[in-house]
Amino acid sequence: MRPYQVATAAAIALIAAVAMFDSLAAFNPSAGTAPGDVGARWYPFWAAAIMGSAALIVAYRVLTTPQAVEGVFAGRTSIFSVLKLAIPMLVYATLIGGIRWRDGDINYTVIPPLGFYIATALYMGGFAWWIGRYKIWWVVLILVAFPLVIFAAFELGFRVSLPKSFLYDEGILPF
Amino acid sequence: MEIFGQLAGGFATALQPINMAMLFVAIVLGLVIGVLPGLGGTSGVAILLPISLFIKNGALPGSNEVTAIIFLAGIYWGALFGGVITSILFNIPGEPWAVVLLFDGFPLAKRLRRPGLALASSFVSSFVGALVATVLFTFFALPVAERALQFGPAELFAVFVLSFATLIGLGAEAPMKSVAMLALGLLLAAVGFDTITGEQRLNFGQVPLLSGIGFVPVTIGLFGIGEILASAEEQGIGYVEQISARLGLRDVREAFVELGKRIRLVLSNSIIGFFFGVLPGHGATAASFLGYGLARQYSKNKENFGKGEISGIMGPQSAADSAGVASLVPMITLGIPGSPTSAVMMAGLFIWGLTPGPVLFIQHQDFVWGLIASIYLGHLMTFILCLLAVPLLAMIMRVPYAIITPFIIVISIIGSYSLNNSMLDVFITVIFGLIGYWLRKLKYPLAPLVVALVLGDSTERELRKALIAGHGSPLYFFNSPLSTLLMLGALVLVLIPLVRTIRARRRGAVARPAGVAH
Repeated sequence: MRPYQVATAAAIALIAAVAMFDSLAAFNPSAGTAPGDVGARWYPFWAAAIMGSAALIVAYRVLTTPQAVEGVFAGRTSIFSVLKLAIPMLVYATLIGGIRWRDGDINYTVIPPLGFYIATALYMGGFAWWIGRYKIWWVVLILVAFPLVIFAAFELGFRVSLPKSFLYDEGILPF
Repeated sequence: MEIFGQLAGGFATALQPINMAMLFVAIVLGLVIGVLPGLGGTSGVAILLPISLFIKNGALPGSNEVTAIIFLAGIYWGALFGGVITSILFNIPGEPWAVVLLFDGFPLAKRLRRPGLALASSFVSSFVGALVATVLFTFFALPVAERALQFGPAELFAVFVLSFATLIGLGAEAPMKSVAMLALGLLLAAVGFDTITGEQRLNFGQVPLLSGIGFVPVTIGLFGIGEILASAEEQGIGYVEQISARLGLRDVREAFVELGKRIRLVLSNSIIGFFFGVLPGHGATAASFLGYGLARQYSKNKENFGKGEISGIMGPQSAADSAGVASLVPMITLGIPGSPTSAVMMAGLFIWGLTPGPVLFIQHQDFVWGLIASIYLGHLMTFILCLLAVPLLAMIMRVPYAIITPFIIVISIIGSYSLNNSMLDVFITVIFGLIGYWLRKLKYPLAPLVVALVLGDSTERELRKALIAGHGSPLYFFNSPLSTLLMLGALVLVLIPLVRTIRARRRGAVARPAGVAH
């Protein structure tokens, strides 16, 4: 447990250091600041200073007091249980918006945006197939039914416009 | 008498068909959320927060901001009751405040073969706890709000400091971890434009960060995704022990008889739970453990605890539900969330353009009294629904993991996206989900982070207004007796963990735990 605790405290201290560096102007409030006011950067500077100091104290306490021997995870199974959920979730979020960027006048597309509905169909269907080990017709039912129900509830019912795919942009699909 | 008139007006508002319909829907959703082990009341409210915006904007005929707050609160009431069902029937706590029911609720259901009595005892005591808290809420809220109206920036800042100090001093986790999380929340709240001077800060040249880090995506991530990940690790796709979910009239009658025998315990725990719930950052979970401790302490049958003792169900349940209701009191009267769930509701109020606090209480009386009346109605409705629908609710546990888990993630992503139509918010949710999971594993408390994120802007604004008024002198905070008292109270609270450590060291009580490394 100790290395994980120290690494986490160090990461918090690092974030604090970056925020303090960004807020160094706290000591020279910009012109136009009201008399008595501490300026825009004072508050984040000291919030970061308190955060960094607390993280360093946590690290010090972890290093100088007895710690539980067992690791942060109960075993390989528990790590895999989390990864099985976390990795598809990250992939799902990425697929919705795709991977693309613009450099000057040129657009680069690595993965086209699949939009919410296609990405959800793949995610729900994939999860049912991989984790649930369902038969193919159940998988197909899930990957069709869930996006349709969500479309009816949010797009038609609540009039929430969710991200659409590149096929929608080209007029091929309604989502 | 003024209060009775306003309460009657509140009932007239709450009893409008659209409000009652949304209360019913919200309670059903809350019960489902409460039953699902991977989803808590806080995350449920956070995920459905964007829907409340559409309700407030009149997406449904006749709906307005009262409907929206009744909807959010109804989810919480449902979750408060629903969490106990899985604890008692499946030995899996649906909510953090239902953990304590594993001690006596599950043994009564399984070993003594009285699941119906265990459930009915829990629902009856929850209802009494909530009722006592709502009555106290009705009579306490207005005087507190009227007093708070006279607060200046120094007093308001002192109230914020006191609420932060409560999170540090009375928190269950290491105080320095609470401090780090609190400061992180304040720092995240400061990202973007400074509201007083308009200067950019902490955005590192990134335009999307100029509007700041949204509270809703962070909370959905920390609580919604974080809880799902933690739940996946703890429970995996394992075997669920199931026992009969039937609840008969005989059980309900017997539960009322048992309540009569323990009425002093239930009433005293409800009152203690109320005052405990008013303290910022604690809410129902801490109150449930306190309620269990008190029930055991003053019981004549201590040896029965852990084996299915009904006081071990009624004691914590009355305190937990009372604290859950009480956590709305500081939110409505002072603009300070009493629990992470009320912090999320408070964010909802901000999104709808309302500012929680004494001004809201005075200027939007229909809103506040409509909410208070809906608490009475909501708990009655939840109580009846629970008695009738336990077998149906227990069936939710049979929905396969491979469907329910990704579906919760999908709903979380819709919730974070739909507020600003922003993919950045989706990534913030996912990233804070992973961060929340990790912080939870390392026992960093998340409540201070969430409360500070909500209150960060107001705290800074009041601090700087006070400094401007005092020409930069920090002594301005000690000009009024109230702010001095609050500041001293905060100091005492922050010193509690230090005093505890020193006393423990003096006693030599820091015993080395088994299996430790140096």
